[in-house]
Amino acid sequence: MTGARKTLWDHVFTLLVALIYIFLIAPILLVVLLSFSGGEFLALPMEGVSLRWFEALFSNSRFYEAAVHSFRLALVSALVNGVIGTLAAIYVIRFAPAHLTNPLRVLMSAPLMVPEILTAIALLFFFFEVGVGNRWSMAIQIGHILVTFPYVFLNVASALFNFDRSQEEAARSLGANGWLTFRRVTLPAIKPGVITGCLFAFVISFDIFNISLLLKSVGKNTLPLELFDYLRYNFDPTAAAVATVSIALTFVAVLIVDATVGLRSLRF
Amino acid sequence: MTEAVPLAPPRRLPVWWMILPAVVLLGGFLILPYASIVVMSFREASTSAVYGDGFTIGHYTEVITDPFVWGIVWRTVRTAAIVTLVTLLLGYPVAYHLARTRSRWASLLYICVISPLLVGLVVRTFAWLIILSNSGMANSALKAAGLIDRPILFLNTPLGVTIALIHVFLPFVILPLLGNLQAINPEVAMAGRSLGASRMRTFFKVTLPLSMPGIQAGAILVFVLSMSAYVTPAMLGGTKGRTMAVLVVQYLVDNFRWPAGAALAIFMAVLTVSIIVLYLRLTARAMRRLP
Repeated sequence: MTGARKTLWDHVFTLLVALIYIFLIAPILLVVLLSFSGGEFLALPMEGVSLRWFEALFSNSRFYEAAVHSFRLALVSALVNGVIGTLAAIYVIRFAPAHLTNPLRVLMSAPLMVPEILTAIALLFFFFEVGVGNRWSMAIQIGHILVTFPYVFLNVASALFNFDRSQEEAARSLGANGWLTFRRVTLPAIKPGVITGCLFAFVISFDIFNISLLLKSVGKNTLPLELFDYLRYNFDPTAAAVATVSIALTFVAVLIVDATVGLRSLRF
Repeated sequence: MTEAVPLAPPRRLPVWWMILPAVVLLGGFLILPYASIVVMSFREASTSAVYGDGFTIGHYTEVITDPFVWGIVWRTVRTAAIVTLVTLLLGYPVAYHLARTRSRWASLLYICVISPLLVGLVVRTFAWLIILSNSGMANSALKAAGLIDRPILFLNTPLGVTIALIHVFLPFVILPLLGNLQAINPEVAMAGRSLGASRMRTFFKVTLPLSMPGIQAGAILVFVLSMSAYVTPAMLGGTKGRTMAVLVVQYLVDNFRWPAGAALAIFMAVLTVSIIVLYLRLTARAMRRLP
């Protein structure tokens, strides 16, 4: 703005944008609000405030088991991708021959570019054909690792891309060998990217649905699947309490990212 | 320390091992499995096993000649097109505002934009299940405003699915646009203003054309996501709002018709890509005509 005074149009625009922000966030806030309902129904106005639906949730073993399953899948996905995604990013940004850089980048972000439902179907057929099927939760775990891989790769790659290489050269000219340089100079510099990527992988893994729907082992639901099944036959604030717990988890992750590296550095 | 530290480039160890695990992951568990969808779609059906011994193109002809399938295809494409258009119309002002705002609430507003992305699809769709039910907030509000006498049926219709999908995919259009708009030098627009163009004219002649790449990226992303969306139509659509992805899962899980489901999935993918190619051709021609 060039310091121009606000016209009517400015006010209309601000109002319009404010409404869209509300549209974005209100449904999520609504679910959180209703989970504290004292009544039986998912409706406004609420009949008082209580924690009874959280009690109902924590005494529900199906939700508990599903949450543990989801947590484990997400943790393994984050850790595995933290290693192989970081290595891949270092290779692609630093060492890959020039003619391979772009094809490799495309390949590394491919799981984000294809529809998740198609990837789920592909893995379903593939694991059946190789004779693994849905045993040992292997198919679902690999599916989660695959889909969350690009989040680590892209975040680390962008951290590496913005990192000034002369710092490494300085370390090496002072006598540090390759490994020491990596550990003391490069790794600290890209750490924010690695942390963001891993947290992101965790959150996304915790939330993904299609992969889990088609690849789950019999009787082992993830939290989103359990919620989906629950909502087929029930419609009460317990579901809102489940949603609130998973939203809270997400926001903890977002706050960690915001406090350590800043939200705007996120790469989708 | 008597010796000089060598400044020659370090020895090149074979570093390709670093990319090896990732290549195994993506090659073995992405590319090969996608090939297995294609193979599956040509397998013969069987009543006693998942598929028979031979190969056939019968599933494709069956899918393509089924009027029931075409009804769902048409609904899916229409829904995806509407969702893409509306998310662009709603997302552009938000991206524009977020790219220029100096408000101290900017961080909070940014959280408003990305948090729907981070909150699971099932949770977000569940919110719309509450809002759009017959006795839900949308109907109560409309009734209180005197706009309707009897509730609008949002659930189990394409309408409810469309509204929820717009919410679910809106961030995917805002974020590419935001990146694009932030990269545009504000002085370019100011130059337009200082040459006497109105703000409206500056926007349509300068900013909007420069943000075309962001619009294209967001539009394609949302279209692909809407065409293949499963959770939202499955939870809100019922049979009347069923989309292609829901039908595919029905083939695979409920009817256990894997080869036919594979053919339908391939059909969905080819259709999506064809529409995008067509769209890019048309917009490329239109953009060449721009001044």
